[in-house]
Amino acid sequence: MFKQVLRSVLFLGIAHCALADLPNDELGKVETLPVPYPNDWVIVHDIAFDHMSIGRFIVMDINGGDIKNFFKGTFDGGFISAFTQALNKPEMYVLEHYYDRGTRGNRTDVLTIYDKATLEPVDEIILADPKLKRAEILVSKFVISLIDDERFLLFYSFTPGTFVTVVDLEKREVVNGVPLPTCAGIYPTGKRGFSSLCGNGSMVSFQLDEDGQVTDQNKIEPFFDVDEDALFERPAIIGGTGYFPSYRGSVQEIDLSGASASLGEKWSLLNEEDRNQNWRPGGAWLTATDSTGRLYVMMHEDGGEGSHDNPGSEIWVFDTASRARLNRIPLTLPAIAFDITMGAAPKIVTTNIEMKLEVYDVRSGEHVNTIADFYHNWPLLVYASQ
Amino acid sequence: MNWLDKLTENLTRNVAKTSSRRGFIGGLGGVIAGGSVMPLLPVARAADAEQPGPPTIDPGNPATCDYWRNCAIDGYLCSCCGGTINSCPPGTEMSTITWIGTCTNPGDGKDYIISYNDCCGKTSCGNCFCNRNEGDRPTYRPHTSNDYNWCLGTESTAYHCTVNIILGVAIK
Repeated sequence: MFKQVLRSVLFLGIAHCALADLPNDELGKVETLPVPYPNDWVIVHDIAFDHMSIGRFIVMDINGGDIKNFFKGTFDGGFISAFTQALNKPEMYVLEHYYDRGTRGNRTDVLTIYDKATLEPVDEIILADPKLKRAEILVSKFVISLIDDERFLLFYSFTPGTFVTVVDLEKREVVNGVPLPTCAGIYPTGKRGFSSLCGNGSMVSFQLDEDGQVTDQNKIEPFFDVDEDALFERPAIIGGTGYFPSYRGSVQEIDLSGASASLGEKWSLLNEEDRNQNWRPGGAWLTATDSTGRLYVMMHEDGGEGSHDNPGSEIWVFDTASRARLNRIPLTLPAIAFDITMGAAPKIVTTNIEMKLEVYDVRSGEHVNTIADFYHNWPLLVYASQ
Repeated sequence: MNWLDKLTENLTRNVAKTSSRRGFIGGLGGVIAGGSVMPLLPVARAADAEQPGPPTIDPGNPATCDYWRNCAIDGYLCSCCGGTINSCPPGTEMSTITWIGTCTNPGDGKDYIISYNDCCGKTSCGNCFCNRNEGDRPTYRPHTSNDYNWCLGTESTAYHCTVNIILGVAIK
């Protein structure tokens, strides 16, 4: 017995000596991300409603799998920040503010510019003008927009005086504050302009010169009833046309390709059966498009006054040329927001009512993935990578 | 139950009571016109009418989302945060710039104008989240939009919770 034990110990010792040692690790390595991001990556805005002084943005691969595969990195956003990303340079923009003692003290407003590869803040523009303080709005992607081949960044200011602040991204400075009547939303319009919807059911349009100053201003007189059938300020913009759903289920097309906005057709998302079942558009973010230019709208049944933020149980797909409904995609769980990835195999990515991300194949409508096992608070908005 | 289940439940319960409300809200204009106390016009209109005083019948629990005054709220109920239905928790600051709703008191059948004032200066309360949207309209009509952070004109925009203040009875 003693000999057997001795032989075993000697064997294990020899075997251990035969294995190579692990190499020493390099100290101080930090990962970087590929740019442009792959089509299956999204940026999720966790507004952190329970501790909103520090929200964050999470870069994720919607193919899921293990967390070490799908969780790519984060960057911060203070106090219900606003976000947009450039197409022609590796920059992302976060409009935010901070207090020097967390929730109190001196306030600093800043437009922070992040590098897509490193997720580091590479520059910032301090926003000091008190009359141009940004609006803190939970769910609107159009509080911030890029125009003029991404030369100018515009954001909505609300104090509650209303302005659109013009930031020259080349000069890295604020160059103008355009006073608005009671209006909101910044929809890129024409060569170097924007349009906004207004509280009386009208729309205003502005064109800017190379210095960001207003050269032209136009207005569409009131064309919808805000009380009876308001337009959502959350359109899909497809080929220069804004598709604005209404609370009761119409779509107002608005041509944004010219110097000023012009009204297009108004048509219904609903057929008679849909109306009888009170289907309505709704959700925190309820519209999107894909690389083929289809219109996607999130819908809920049994709608009525006050249901416009309800989670959607289906996403309906429309051909914008024929205005025909092509598909109804039932959701595994109702969703509060969604976006669609770009490329040849686009996916719908929803934030569902359990605050998990769900992935669906756009063409088949099949549910393909759930991404849930990561730390988050309120991942309210999803942005497809550009 | 997560917050959106609650949200859906409450929306379902509170869909129908709006026709006179929409008419009233449609009559409002220019409520937000500067940096001072905002709900001036509702106050003025209520003053023109016979002042009913506080409702004598006020059914329901203010610490629950389906309490009648919460019909257009979007946030944490101050009644669950150390405050009350109409007072902020200790150490916070009440914003005087607000959005308004019009809610039906099931106890007396009257429509009341409600000012939703945010209490500010501390991080989110986190208790009793409630989102109901009767009469809520998009951000291009701010005074009836609950999607803004209304901690405006306060020392800090840090949002903590929301109170409901009766401004008067809606004039039909």
